[in-house]
Amino acid sequence: MNAKKLIGTALSVVLCASMLAGCGNQKNETETTTEKGKKTLVIGDTTFNSSNEENNVNPHDAYSGWACIRYGIGETLVKYSDTMEIEPWLAKEWENVDELTWKITLQDNVKFSSGRDMDAEAVKECLEHLTENHERAKNDLKIDSMEADGQILTIHTSEPKPALLNYLGDPYGCIIDVDAGFDDGIVAGTGPYIAVDCQSDDHLTLVKNEDYWNGTPKIDELTIRTITDGSTLANALQSGEIQAAYGMAYESYPLFENDAYTFSQISTSRCFFGKMNFDESSVCADPAVRKAIAMGIDKENFVATLLEGNGYVANGVFPEGSAFGGDKVTTETYDPEGAKEVLEAAGWKDTDGDGIREKDGKKLTVRWLTYPSRQELPLLAESAQATLKDIGIDLDINCTADNNSVADDPTAWDVYAMANVQAPTGDPEYWFTVFATSDATRNQGKYSSEKLDKLEKELSAEFDIEKRAELAVQMQQTVLDDHAFVFCSFLKMSMISKANVTGYESHACDYYQVTADLDIN
Amino acid sequence: MKIRLIFFGILALALVIASYFSEYLCPYDPYLQDLGNAKAVPSAAHIFGTDRYGRDMLSRVIVGSKTSIYSTLLLVAFITVLGTMIGVFCAWKGTWVDTVLMRISDVFLAFPGLVFALAVAAALGGGVHNAIIALGAISWPKYARVARSETLAQKETVYLRAAKLSGCGTWKLIFKHILPNITGPILVTAMLDIGTMMMELAGLSFLGLGAKPPVAEWGSMMSDTRNLLTTHPWVTLAPGCAIFVSVMIFNLLGDTVRDWLDPRNGR
Repeated sequence: MNAKKLIGTALSVVLCASMLAGCGNQKNETETTTEKGKKTLVIGDTTFNSSNEENNVNPHDAYSGWACIRYGIGETLVKYSDTMEIEPWLAKEWENVDELTWKITLQDNVKFSSGRDMDAEAVKECLEHLTENHERAKNDLKIDSMEADGQILTIHTSEPKPALLNYLGDPYGCIIDVDAGFDDGIVAGTGPYIAVDCQSDDHLTLVKNEDYWNGTPKIDELTIRTITDGSTLANALQSGEIQAAYGMAYESYPLFENDAYTFSQISTSRCFFGKMNFDESSVCADPAVRKAIAMGIDKENFVATLLEGNGYVANGVFPEGSAFGGDKVTTETYDPEGAKEVLEAAGWKDTDGDGIREKDGKKLTVRWLTYPSRQELPLLAESAQATLKDIGIDLDINCTADNNSVADDPTAWDVYAMANVQAPTGDPEYWFTVFATSDATRNQGKYSSEKLDKLEKELSAEFDIEKRAELAVQMQQTVLDDHAFVFCSFLKMSMISKANVTGYESHACDYYQVTADLDIN
Repeated sequence: MKIRLIFFGILALALVIASYFSEYLCPYDPYLQDLGNAKAVPSAAHIFGTDRYGRDMLSRVIVGSKTSIYSTLLLVAFITVLGTMIGVFCAWKGTWVDTVLMRISDVFLAFPGLVFALAVAAALGGGVHNAIIALGAISWPKYARVARSETLAQKETVYLRAAKLSGCGTWKLIFKHILPNITGPILVTAMLDIGTMMMELAGLSFLGLGAKPPVAEWGSMMSDTRNLLTTHPWVTLAPGCAIFVSVMIFNLLGDTVRDWLDPRNGR
């Protein structure tokens, strides 16, 4: 009996002790974020995750450059203005010596966070490492050779590259000290903040760069917390667990439209669009199906209701306001009756009366691949599902964070709906070489158009900006006529912060989130 | 006792019948989107309001009952039959078969249930059917345990020995003598499990591994609308209340059945 009692008591003590230990841990965690005399700030972000190919902050790894530039770790040679024109940044000035040669003069007083001076030699090493390790950059830049002389870098390209400087402003172009290494995906850049701890899909910790060349960073310790779920992000901002948020669901905006919070909103070239799969196994290989899908999505209502007006209907690849975007191209409008006729004429008929069309015994089921980290993509899927059902298309939605590996298998999807910044370099060529040309890096749907490839060749060698815009319009029209993509809407991006946070501002290109101006009072 | 049993029995039966005819009870088409009328507050026309696509919430809750309740009943029936079969077989056969199967069931019991179900559902892909398979895969051992211990107890009884001596075959012994005598405890376990399984199915759906859109299912309806919880709470509360009420009815029915079958109650 006594032994039983003793064991019972011992178990109770262990239980109580473990409960206390649990409480203890939690307390420690909150203490570190409110250490006295130190300015700390936590930003919640829905996009810093492996689903967006942002595993770390190494700009030479897939899309991780976005994290590098967004969180103030790296800077590029040029930056984009709000009208997406290029301006000097780490490069002071540049000169197009001839079609194949560019002479770039660098800023004098810039140091990497590793302590090394940023000179032409360091930039040359960085760009060499970039083109060796980054397929997209290699295709974009076509660098043949480089020469470094003090602060002057001369770049020779293997073919005329009119948009070279635009491309160098892409996040992959963040200038880093390659000698400082890439341990844990952390790099040494020239920005106002230095990454010290990076855990994929969880958090990134940054400290201020005391030797920053372009101002004085104000936050001592900055944490970027990956929160992919919209409601969790909203709750975290409300509870004060984070003080600023990127990627908030539009549906949660009403919670923050008051004096306690600051909104910074801007129209961007970020677009929701679906790319069609041209693989033989896909129903979208049938042009009639692609056309019917393009005619069967009610973009107007999607923007008005599900985006709550935080965007506008997309016509083509690029937004209004650019020399090559907006209404310069024509596309299908929402026309369910027309779509039905198109399908009917192509032999897709509902023979068994279940509301879904068939042809040669095959049901018209479209596998719609999308991902949840852009909060409104699942909403687009479900709204398209309803309108397409009306015209006899069954939409099978696969909303997964594993979208990248699914997209790589052309037999696993028919339409891949995604969000993308269409003109991140302020130049139209980028989009076509990434998504649409036969050898484009992210053309997983195997779209191939001889006409488009020919126009792209012309575009890549054209230095005249007006002619480039003209070609871009023709190329968009080609893509639209083939119904290879369906462009749904452009988005306004908002960054929301507590009212005492200043300098947290959104930008037309969606890059420069954390700057030396960021402060908390 | 009997009155309670009849009362909850009728309630549960009404729920099951109503959900069977749910399509005819909906005031609106539960899948019809009307974006112009999205997120409407509860009113006479839409008692539970509308969701972000303008779909009537009442209709969706009603039609969702079919998916939620019938998948639960199917799941419980599936694990009851499977678990009982394994349990009786183990107890009857004994030897190494019993040891192996019971160790397997120990392994399943050692895993945290929902986490294991999550892994199975993720491996199989989304959809209500896969969610049922996932939960079935982890829930049978409980029934196997009950069936096994009850069968072992029955095996030692005098009447069974007598039946054996009088030349009854194995199948007759199991189906005529053992099964009717072990049904009570298994039935009680099953009744009490309906509520739990309904919650677990809703949980899987909430995590995106159950029903796929646009299928109305209470768990996935709550998950889809959780962004709206603070701004338009009714769209989340409606399916939440539906889960609460049905789980409550099935749990109370289970309790009553248990009390009713308890020999100490001297019915």
